[in-house]
Amino acid sequence: MTWQKYILAFVITGAIFGTAFYIAARIDSQRIADIRAAEESISIDILSSETQFQLLGNLDCQTISQNPVLQSELGSLAGRLSVSEANLGSDNAEVVYLKKQYSLLEIKDYLLMQQIAQKCNLKPVFVLYFYSNAGDCADCARAGDVLTYIRNQYPGLRVYSFDYNLDLSALKTLASLRTLNGGLPAFIINNRPPVYGFKTLDELEALIPELKTLATSTPKTSAGE
Amino acid sequence: MDIGALGVYFSLFIGLYFEVFLLISFLERHPTQKTPQLPTHYPRVSMLVPVWNEEKTIATTLESLLALDYPQDKLEVLVIDDGSTDKTRTVTEHYIAQLPQQERSRVRMLHKENGGKWTALNMGIEHSTSELIGCLDADSFVAPDALLEMIKKFENDHSVMAISPAMKVFRPKKLLELMQAVEYTFGIFYKKMFDNLAALNVLPGPFSMYRREVFTKIGLFKHAHNTEDMEIAFRMHSRGLKIVNAHTAFVYTTVPSTLRTLIKQRVRWSQGFLQNSQDYSYMYFNPRFGNFGMLILPFGLTALFAGLYTAFYALFHLVSYVGGRALDMWVTRIPPHLPTFSHFDWFYLNTSMLTFLIVATLLLTFLGIMLGQGMAQTRLSAKSFLSYFALFGFVAPVWLARAVWGAVRSKESSWR
Repeated sequence: MTWQKYILAFVITGAIFGTAFYIAARIDSQRIADIRAAEESISIDILSSETQFQLLGNLDCQTISQNPVLQSELGSLAGRLSVSEANLGSDNAEVVYLKKQYSLLEIKDYLLMQQIAQKCNLKPVFVLYFYSNAGDCADCARAGDVLTYIRNQYPGLRVYSFDYNLDLSALKTLASLRTLNGGLPAFIINNRPPVYGFKTLDELEALIPELKTLATSTPKTSAGE
Repeated sequence: MDIGALGVYFSLFIGLYFEVFLLISFLERHPTQKTPQLPTHYPRVSMLVPVWNEEKTIATTLESLLALDYPQDKLEVLVIDDGSTDKTRTVTEHYIAQLPQQERSRVRMLHKENGGKWTALNMGIEHSTSELIGCLDADSFVAPDALLEMIKKFENDHSVMAISPAMKVFRPKKLLELMQAVEYTFGIFYKKMFDNLAALNVLPGPFSMYRREVFTKIGLFKHAHNTEDMEIAFRMHSRGLKIVNAHTAFVYTTVPSTLRTLIKQRVRWSQGFLQNSQDYSYMYFNPRFGNFGMLILPFGLTALFAGLYTAFYALFHLVSYVGGRALDMWVTRIPPHLPTFSHFDWFYLNTSMLTFLIVATLLLTFLGIMLGQGMAQTRLSAKSFLSYFALFGFVAPVWLARAVWGAVRSKESSWR
């Protein structure tokens, strides 16, 4: 019996583990880089829209309203962020930084869209959704599911989701301006007073009557029609 | 981090370590090719065929034995009927009766009350006088040159006391048979590597051969929790008797084709391993017994529990996920719908460390099977590979769990 073989096998197995760890870490880094690139791209889009808005005023509403950041891009970014959050942990410094940046982009897009809507007589439907994944909001995941489902049904719905516990002054200002009392999950629909607590699909749809004005992604085929 | 996942990482480490160890052994010593060289001496051989209700296969088994490429006057076949209740006796007697006179004298049939395979084997040993004793289950068939390949092994090394064959599945057709065909091919590889490590852990019923002195030195077969072929290997290691593998001696065995019979067979094997391990616990981590005590036994036991743990962990997560989603749908009132994938995005692929470790383990397993395929001079179909990788992980935990449960309750496993 040769002990060297036992040690060699141990070293090689350790090397395989090390390689697996390295590859997984590299891919996670690549993901972070992708998110950062997407955020930069969206940031430029928002800046461009803001500048365009300032240049044109309300003279060319059609051009302006077509240009702001697409909700699907923000939605895609949110999906990617949640994957990275699940992989790296919600307290990962890189993830927290990207979430802050994402939240800022959301706020900027929200404000810009409000200005555009006002000047161009548009009637977009906004939902600000505040959640927590720190373990203090048992219903937040389900509330997020309901909102995601509605957004998929109505691509024109502009949903902005915010981690309430994120240490970001702009977010705290937004929360205080909207008089949030800390109850989660919380929904602010088209600047109306906040609605707290979990809502089923039917309840949430009832809270957003403006949904009827939005086009659906697929024709409804339910028997109730 | 999910604490439960640590157990899965440990299981993967053990699995990978073992596979790496076997591959190192392979690189150290490649299995030799079959040569046309013949033995210089042909010792007398008694082939024992214990039978219990084998009316369907006994004739083919005997046919394959009589077709062995070996001097006729040096080979006798003893069929030991262990109290069959079907037509095994009639079929065998009829088969013997229709043989030519010269061949008929080479085949004898013994009868006894049903007492278990080990008692039939012992009766056969007592009624034989040959220098070498072979065993062949009545559901298995030997390749014509298999005995010669074994004889060469005995001749080349006089310290060899027993030899195990290379087992292949006989005409696999059904899904579970195809799965086992891959498993047995992998077995051909790792059994040879066990041989390299001088640590073969079983002398399977289908065509293992012994020098007679094995039984005079360590005694006859024992009940051994219905795994007498495993226990005798354990006992031989404990007494320092050498066991090797003849990877060029092919034997074809019929395998269970239904889930019920497969699980029953494997529960017997796994439970036998656990109970024999208990009987021979002093060999565990004992360097006196070489790689057998230091690697094969501890690995076998760890792999059994690691496999069970991983299966339960995966099952728990699957049930939690499915149950959780169902509850979410009920609470949220979201109608059932499929997730929407507008385009492929690598971002959402699972690229965790665990994924890469599972891939590495599967790749090494695949490599082992391919090496086994080369040694077995066989070609497995894509369907066989598919059934192995898709099914084995699901069915193996069932028999492992039942074996552990049976061992804990000290309940004897059954044969059929």
